[in-house]
Amino acid sequence: MPVLLSARRLTRTYPNGQGVFDVDLRLEPGELVALMGPNGSGKSTLLRVLGTAAAPSGGTVSWFGTTDLRDPAVRRRLGVVLDQAAHFEEMTAYQNGWFFARQFGLEPRIAAERIEDGLRWAGLWEARHQPVREYSLGMKRKLSLVEAFLHRPQILLLDEPTLGLDYRAELALIERLQVLSLTGTGIVIATNDVHLAERLCHRVLLLHQGRVVTEGRVARLLTAVAGSKELELQIHSPIDLEGIRSLPEVEAVSASGHTVSVMLARGANPAQVLAILNGTSDLVSTMRVRQPNLGDLFLKLTGVPLQEEGAR
Amino acid sequence: MSPPALPASIWQRELIEFEQRRRALVVKLLFPLLIALPLIYSRAAGVYAAMALTMLTATVGALGSGAVLSRERAIGLNVRYRLLPRRPAAVLLERVAAGAAIDLVQMLVVLVLIAFRQPTRLAWLPAILLAAAGVLAACNVLGAWASSLTRSPGEVMLAVLLPLLPALYLSGVFTAPAAPLLAAISRLLPFTYLHDALLGALTGRPQLTPWADAAAGIVFLAVSAALTGLLARRVLERD
Repeated sequence: MPVLLSARRLTRTYPNGQGVFDVDLRLEPGELVALMGPNGSGKSTLLRVLGTAAAPSGGTVSWFGTTDLRDPAVRRRLGVVLDQAAHFEEMTAYQNGWFFARQFGLEPRIAAERIEDGLRWAGLWEARHQPVREYSLGMKRKLSLVEAFLHRPQILLLDEPTLGLDYRAELALIERLQVLSLTGTGIVIATNDVHLAERLCHRVLLLHQGRVVTEGRVARLLTAVAGSKELELQIHSPIDLEGIRSLPEVEAVSASGHTVSVMLARGANPAQVLAILNGTSDLVSTMRVRQPNLGDLFLKLTGVPLQEEGAR
Repeated sequence: MSPPALPASIWQRELIEFEQRRRALVVKLLFPLLIALPLIYSRAAGVYAAMALTMLTATVGALGSGAVLSRERAIGLNVRYRLLPRRPAAVLLERVAAGAAIDLVQMLVVLVLIAFRQPTRLAWLPAILLAAAGVLAACNVLGAWASSLTRSPGEVMLAVLLPLLPALYLSGVFTAPAAPLLAAISRLLPFTYLHDALLGALTGRPQLTPWADAAAGIVFLAVSAALTGLLARRVLERD
């Protein structure tokens, strides 16, 4: 199978010591790969390097067999959406689309067809002659996606692609990415949306403090936490987290705002945790047990939650 | 309503955005007019007008380009340019050339005023035009470089003026260089030739010929293009 993108011991450091370190990654045609990690884990930095927006400080990255990140032939085959939805604000969405379509080498007739198709898909066709400065953040994010799809790139690199999108737009995006994957486009998504990654992606890299803590097929990764359970408690007041953490059945505990997540080992009984809360159970407003997901795996491996409370 | 213009290239995009920012367009065109009109038509000596107009041209070129690039870096547009499938030198060259060309359009009004004021010295107008193009190109490159050193458009002003003011002094804009070394240095700076061409048109007492000033303008256009190529990666790839 030809490799679209390959990174070996990729490192990108910043003066403050943060960055990504020694990352290995391969992307084959049709593959959907998620880069997951909490804020500051390095997933956006990694995506920027893979998208040629930043040069690696160490290691190598090759796109279609070349390591020259400034090679126009490489960039012509990449579609990149970074965290900032930057556009030429005084120009309309159509003008922005036209500029990028033509810069990426599309003939005027093809450009017109694809811009119309993309803007209609994104629900922006009616607002196509509106200056982008009048757009909401969600509309700008959609326009960024449209622009990235215009030249039918062979590799798509998307940073938090569902950020700012409503539910319908998110479903439309997932469907589109699945179709693109089936037609051979390699896709890398940086996200901390567990459900998006589990639903859409074939492979996942979990990043923590700039390093890959584990990677592999989603189903295989989930076997590491299969049989275990997550107990999620909504609390009014602080509870004895250390007491819970010290239980042998407990693999990890995280607290974020009023939510406490307790990762239970395979075969453990949630009642043992509840026993710790004996006498203070009135502090707990709701409690629920659910099957573990990639977020729980991350918590188990690193001891820190994958998502902020608001993102869960 | 006419259909909106569709930009296929960077220079077309710059022109369209310039045209669509109506208020900025009016300010840009009025600004040199308001400064040049009293300078050229008052009883002030032509030497002061030449000095002020040289400074105005240099400042317009450097500050405009520096502030725009700095703002674009802050809002993420610099990265969008970086990801275009073109070499960095080609991208920056087109941006700097478009910026300098728009600045030159601004300065055309000054040429018209001079032409009406001094109809017998029309030979100097092509020299002023080419020397101004050289100054604007060089100053746009200076602004681009300054934008890569700073974090905000406000800081660009400081980063631009620090080298610009001594360079203007060394060019003999304020006082003619007496020492041979200073005179030699002045010949290496683009402001010297614009100042001289303006002196030629406004006072009739230049140091050089119109041909020399015009040729120098062309040389500085070429030098600016080469410098743009050298600076492109630094300017476009800094976050």
